[in-house]
Amino acid sequence: MIIVENIYKRYQTTHGPSRWILEDVSFVIPKNVSVGIVGGNGAGKSTLLRLIGGVDKPNRGRIEHRSRVSWPMGFGGLQPSLTGRQNAKFICRIHGHEDDIPERLAYIQDFAELGKYFDEPVRTYSSGMKSRLQFGMSLAFKFDIYISDEATSTGDASFRQKAVDAFNNLMGQSSLIMAAHGAGALKQFCTAGIWLDKGRVHWFDDLDDALNAYKDSIGQ
Amino acid sequence: MTNSSNVRTRTPLAVTLSVWKALFLRETITRLSATRGAAVWLLLEPILHTTVMLVIFTVIRVKVLSGIDVLAWLIIGLTFISVYKRTASQVQGAIGANKTLFAYRQVKPIDSLLVRAFLEGFLALIIILITCAGAVFLFDVDLIPDDAGMVLSGFLGLWLMGLGFGLVCSVAVELIPEMGKIIAMLNMPIMMTSGAMLPINSISEPYRTWILYNPLVHGLEVARLGVSSYYHVVTGTNLLYLYQCAFVAIFLGLALQVRFASKILTK
Repeated sequence: MIIVENIYKRYQTTHGPSRWILEDVSFVIPKNVSVGIVGGNGAGKSTLLRLIGGVDKPNRGRIEHRSRVSWPMGFGGLQPSLTGRQNAKFICRIHGHEDDIPERLAYIQDFAELGKYFDEPVRTYSSGMKSRLQFGMSLAFKFDIYISDEATSTGDASFRQKAVDAFNNLMGQSSLIMAAHGAGALKQFCTAGIWLDKGRVHWFDDLDDALNAYKDSIGQ
Repeated sequence: MTNSSNVRTRTPLAVTLSVWKALFLRETITRLSATRGAAVWLLLEPILHTTVMLVIFTVIRVKVLSGIDVLAWLIIGLTFISVYKRTASQVQGAIGANKTLFAYRQVKPIDSLLVRAFLEGFLALIIILITCAGAVFLFDVDLIPDDAGMVLSGFLGLWLMGLGFGLVCSVAVELIPEMGKIIAMLNMPIMMTSGAMLPINSISEPYRTWILYNPLVHGLEVARLGVSSYYHVVTGTNLLYLYQCAFVAIFLGLALQVRFASKILTK
């Protein structure tokens, strides 16, 4: 369960503070409910995911985690000068899995299918390879809630299928919070929906309602 | 995936320690292997620096400085000043270099700063030991310390000063990138007046007293005195002053980290 209470968020720019990206936002994500976040470009989807993931702090308000929440998969988290393997080891260590690094590395290596690139610096990776590695790294650990920013939309067709299968395996024991532009990926995994519009959050128990509200707002 | 049944909750200390260990290994790898021959350069830099300075001093026919061999004087000065210099500059750049890793809640900017300072101190100690051992065995320079504790206290003071200055600068350059240029300019006079390359005893009063406001002078002088009790230490040397400056800088740096923690993460 994640409780979001009256959060406000804006960024500091060189020309003073920006507009409010999120303004007085409150909602509760219940246990085992997967949520899809929809909204136009710049509506604050990524900002919201970063806040929920604890990477960024709201200017005002409070976010409470009552379950284990993953880091936001799509945001950095890879050190470009290190190899995929070294990055993966780093993740294992900071999550307190010093003792079973080999097993987790084997899982990540197998999932990401990077071949010999697993031992090359991450800066040589293509964006698809990077997201495969990030995806594998987050799935190697058990979380109650996984935060994904369009993770399934990158990579080629075979990897997308693999990602879908992995997500499906998780269903039941874990849930997902994801942002995606395509309705397809969201419909596959999410039951509830959040529509972000002009700094406000609209919660829908049914994802279809959220998608319809979003479509109506852009006149489709 | 695995471990679903026994979800462990770790204590904050356990989390921090595991982050420090992971960061230490990550920093060591990049520090020693990021560029070609990075590890060799670490060692070669003070040696080349010493050689250049030695040539200059030989040309002006200086063999003994303040009562000790000029080579010993130079080696201590140049290796010990880089304890400060490298710690300060590495800590200053730590936040920028580890930015992508702050995507993990466990990793905080302050972790990267402290781990980098520790790594630089550790590397500096190894470099000093290798350089001095080499000079002792190859050139018969008298670098066996008369008072090892005194040498160590100088080393520690310079390292703490580097940590403090780096902590303050890291916040400054994160919030105001232009500060990087100003700090680089500021470093020039600090180095020149540290007494690492230019003997302070040869400077006349009242300027010598002014130079003693540079805290680094005190660390270097004490280190040289620790190596050779015959060394004519600069009048007014006070190791306590270096430590006072270092602790003021460290506390200021930590306060800035706390005050601007969320701004640093948000940027």
